Amino acid sequence: MNNQIGDTDTETDTNVSTDSGTDSGLGATAGVETSTTTTAGESEEQVRDEWTDYRFDGPSKLTVENLDVWYGDDHALKDVSMEIPEKSVTALIGPSGCGKSTYLRCLNRMNDRIKAARIDGSVELDGMEIYDPNTNLVELRKRIGMVFQSPNPFPKSIRDNISYGPRKHGEINKGLLARLFGNDDSEKEAELVERSLRQAALWDEVQDRLDDNALGLSGGQQQRLCIARCLAVDPEVILMDEPASALDPIATSKIEDLVTELAKDYTVVIVTHNMQQAARISDQTAVFLTGGELVEYDDTDKIFENPESQRVEDYITGKFG
Amino acid sequence: MSEGYARENELVSVESNVYDRAMDVGIALSIVTFVVGMLTFADAVPLGATGTELINFFGLLLAATAGGVGIVAVFSYANVVPVTSQRVRGVAFGLLVGLVGLTVAAVALPVSLATMLGLILLVEAGLLAAGGVASRLELVDTDPSRTAGLLAGLAFGVIGAITGAVIVGSLPGVPSAVVGVPLWLLGAVALGVGFGALTIGPREDLGSTLPPALILGVFGATIATAAIGVGWQWAPENLSGGFTGGSIIPLFVLFGSLLTSWSAAKCRADFGARGRQYGAFFVINLNAFLMVAVMVAIVTYVTVKGVSWAFHGFTIGALSLLVVLTPPLVLTIQYARAPAGTDEWHTAARQFFRVIPLAAVGSLATLLLGIFVTGTTFEVPYQYAILVDRSTVMLDTAVSVTPSLQVGNLLVIVSGALLFTYFLRRYGSLRDVGTEYEQLSSVRQGLPAAIGLLGLLSLVYIGIGPVLDGLPIGIGVATLGAVAVAALALAPLGPLVTGEGSLADRAHRNSQLLNVGLLGGVALLTAVVVFEWTAVSNPRLGPVAPVGVVAVIAALASTCAAGLASRARRATDDTLRHRILGDQVTLGLAAAAGYLTLIGLHVAATSEVPFVLGPIEIGIQGSLSWPAVLQGAIPLGEAPGGIYPAIVGTIWIVIGASLFAVPLGLGAAVFLTEYAEQGRFTEVVETATNALWSTPSIVFGLFGAAFLIPRLGDNLSLLAAQLTLSFMLLPLVVITSREAIKSVPDEYRDASAALGVDKWKTIRSVVIPAAMPGVVTGVILGVGRIAGETAPLILVLGSEINATNAIDVLGGFAFTTSPPFVTNDALLTSSAALPTQVWAIITAGVSGSASKGWATAFMLLVVVLSFYAVGITARTYFRRKINYE
Ligand SMILES: Nc1ncnc2c1ncn2[C@@H]1O[C@H](COP(=O)(O)OP(=O)(O)OP(=O)(O)O)[C@@H](O)[C@H]1O
Ligand SMILES: [Mg+2]
Repeated sequence: MNNQIGDTDTETDTNVSTDSGTDSGLGATAGVETSTTTTAGESEEQVRDEWTDYRFDGPSKLTVENLDVWYGDDHALKDVSMEIPEKSVTALIGPSGCGKSTYLRCLNRMNDRIKAARIDGSVELDGMEIYDPNTNLVELRKRIGMVFQSPNPFPKSIRDNISYGPRKHGEINKGLLARLFGNDDSEKEAELVERSLRQAALWDEVQDRLDDNALGLSGGQQQRLCIARCLAVDPEVILMDEPASALDPIATSKIEDLVTELAKDYTVVIVTHNMQQAARISDQTAVFLTGGELVEYDDTDKIFENPESQRVEDYITGKFG
Repeated sequence: MSEGYARENELVSVESNVYDRAMDVGIALSIVTFVVGMLTFADAVPLGATGTELINFFGLLLAATAGGVGIVAVFSYANVVPVTSQRVRGVAFGLLVGLVGLTVAAVALPVSLATMLGLILLVEAGLLAAGGVASRLELVDTDPSRTAGLLAGLAFGVIGAITGAVIVGSLPGVPSAVVGVPLWLLGAVALGVGFGALTIGPREDLGSTLPPALILGVFGATIATAAIGVGWQWAPENLSGGFTGGSIIPLFVLFGSLLTSWSAAKCRADFGARGRQYGAFFVINLNAFLMVAVMVAIVTYVTVKGVSWAFHGFTIGALSLLVVLTPPLVLTIQYARAPAGTDEWHTAARQFFRVIPLAAVGSLATLLLGIFVTGTTFEVPYQYAILVDRSTVMLDTAVSVTPSLQVGNLLVIVSGALLFTYFLRRYGSLRDVGTEYEQLSSVRQGLPAAIGLLGLLSLVYIGIGPVLDGLPIGIGVATLGAVAVAALALAPLGPLVTGEGSLADRAHRNSQLLNVGLLGGVALLTAVVVFEWTAVSNPRLGPVAPVGVVAVIAALASTCAAGLASRARRATDDTLRHRILGDQVTLGLAAAAGYLTLIGLHVAATSEVPFVLGPIEIGIQGSLSWPAVLQGAIPLGEAPGGIYPAIVGTIWIVIGASLFAVPLGLGAAVFLTEYAEQGRFTEVVETATNALWSTPSIVFGLFGAAFLIPRLGDNLSLLAAQLTLSFMLLPLVVITSREAIKSVPDEYRDASAALGVDKWKTIRSVVIPAAMPGVVTGVILGVGRIAGETAPLILVLGSEINATNAIDVLGGFAFTTSPPFVTNDALLTSSAALPTQVWAIITAGVSGSASKGWATAFMLLVVVLSFYAVGITARTYFRRKINYE
């Protein structure tokens, strides 16, 4: 299943940019590293493979190899390879437009839904290739849940938003007949709704209005609702795209606690623009920089205290980005 | 805002106050003339009215206005509906002043309404001119722009040109052309350019008051001097029609009042940007009002023409009316119980408004109760004229409500079913609440089995019914079932009434028993009634029908349970228990409504025998007698009749066409939008649907007649009509559904996909619900079109006038053992329909009864509007579901 992987010889030749060997023929080498005027003030340097070669103990949940994404002719993600360990928090940071969301969407094949997107490379979940043509997308997305960058609740009641996934998966049955004969799952649903909303730090605010339409919630509340909705399906991996972008410090810290808590049983991949947040909650951090390359990936402490790359250091200390 | 606020306060100064009040009067006068213009146009008041008639007319207007303004003023004073805007107050004041002035003028001046309207236009002209000049001379503080603008200039140029052409062209004794140029053209050019210049040239205050003042002056003078009077006529040679004073004067008045309102509103808001805004506001509103008025006028006209024939001899029993009134009663109670919004909305005033509907329905119900208590018939007699053999015959008749205790089963079924669904929707769940008795779980398992068994038995009867005739199965099953239902329904009452603890404790513990008892009872009895229907038997023990009696007992028991739960609920503070007991109340009421519905269904199932309970009688034939609308044509009969078959035909056509077109159209729309690759193919389909929608209906009719009819038994048939109209409806459903589905944001689809939900489930549970209001809008529009469609129906359904029997579609179903297993002869016969009947009556000429035609048209309106009402309710329901208000 690695026919899609680029034919770069990554063992040797570490001074060469990872792009130089790809057969994409899109002139990626003429991109960011060699240009003398980088847009956001990044200094020139070449990415070394060992910067992203993060080693950890224990099994890897997701293994990404040589992933490339194009939107039309726009090469949005360049030859990204990384392994994400199980039951941990992985933070993705980087300047706006560098491809973090794109990368995240590749992990549960949501990019397939974008017509212009073309994806090349391999992603394995527990050793199973998800870009296999026969992958069951429904099952895959059940196992890899996602919280989007902008909140997108359904135009339904708060309760129905949370129970939507389990209901459609047949785990909760609330049909009229079931209700008439008293074997409906209302109680189970109520429990699920309460647990999910509590986890997402929303329960206290909405417990009296579970039947109200979710579109009537504030932006931050909607964001937490979407987190709760994702949790209700009980996925193995949770992808979060800036889940705290519209939240106040208190709700943010609740979400951070939640993420830490989730990491005990789940694998969490989280995109954030907040360096402190990344430093606080994540076990390892991946830094993407303009142009869609993964520049450095390592223990969070290492990245924030002693990054290899000058550009990463500049980015983290706020010199650009 | 701050500037406006400052100016409103500044208006306290004396001279500007006079100016503003004068302009308010101008605006108010324009509104009055607008209304009067419309009334005269619709012939509601004669233009020639003088003396007492005129005084009465203006007196009536004054009284109505004073009443309206007075009520609002009282509410405003009491701070219920605060009206703080100076402008609104000003217009109200102007309305009163203007109408008092007009009434006084009507008393003082011996003139006709037409002359009076002319005078009003002159007054308006004077007011406008004075306003403009006062502003120009800086007597008042205004804020005009340099010019009234090119657009206004163009508009007045065109108006001037038309006026010039008409004036010059109609002046007697002038040559029609000078050196080859028609004189009217010269007049048009001269006045057009003049008016345009007058509008654009001077400062805005003059530019937007003088031209309208001039035009109003011309109109007013022509009418007031009777240059164009009521009897005036003008028939231009090259025009086949002619103009009469009767139609020209109202047009002048309407147009004049639009001009006045625009110009006076500009003055009132001190010209400039605010003036333009206020002027546009008035013109647009009066225009919208005009549109609405035209539509209302059409409906009213048809109603007035058709209603007396349609309601000839209308009689209904008070009890039947009460049954009809129950659903609205429940709704209004619910509305009154739940005040919207936050605490501050719970003020006395809000509550007052919330109980108004309840009070209205309640008082109606009390009046009806009064009718049986006193035993007197309530009657509204009236008289109307019809044409019989070209001579007018007066008919005496009455609309009455009798103290009859007979109720038709259809009314019971409809009301009961409405209430049942309503309560069931509000019912939450009683799962895992209260004690789970051991016997209960066996009942829970036994019930579906029993119901299944009854279903099987019914199927057996459908298959080999006649073989089993004579065996005592019917009575046995019915009695057994009835006893079981009675036991189920009464079971919850025992533990509720006796036992330990407070009533609330007992009710809480009793939840499971209540749940199973009530709903199980309804389900079981439904199965029994279905069995009765298939067995075509009317099981009785002596004179008693066990099923009906048990339904009554069970309904009473359920109501009792609901009542007790409600009492217990009032005594609890615990929120959880409050919810549980609330659910018990709704459940009890739902069950009671369900049992009532079943009584109606039982009567329907057991043929003609009415169900008698003391003095009350529920039968196929109720106490409603509405000969014109609910009977077929009565040959040579005295009383009117004959619309019923047409109503039934139209309803079946609409239902059939929608049943074909809506699922197909929605399915096609889903496929085209969600599944098909967007590109050439979808574009072609889209173009084709649009073209199909604009295809003239007669083409569809021809297709139906030439293609469908030969394939459907070779005669005019209901099925052919339904199919033909469904082809007409289909494109609209596809177009609107597609638009609605496209406008559902992709975020919803992404969100659903990311939760691991497949495409079809996403479409079903997210996309279609979100698109539903749009889909329903399309169906509403389409149904409105096909319900009144005439031309294709004449071709595929025929045009019967004097149908004596309504088509019996439900009864036409027959089951056979060979394919196609189900046949329906009724669908293959022709039927009357409302639009074709109107057409047939009108084209039949003298031999047709025009009154019947009007009454049929009126009923067509009623039927179409009822479909609208259903559609709009559905749309509101779906909208509420996806919106957060
Ligand atoms: N649907 C799309 N079609 C075309 N181009 C896209 C699409 N989505 C993203 N891109 C492009 O791909 C690049 C990476 O976008 P992406 O959304 O992954 O950035 P990001 O790192 O998440 O930024 P942010 O932090 O602002 O969310 C951008 O240049 C963007 O314009
Ligand atoms: Mg992003």
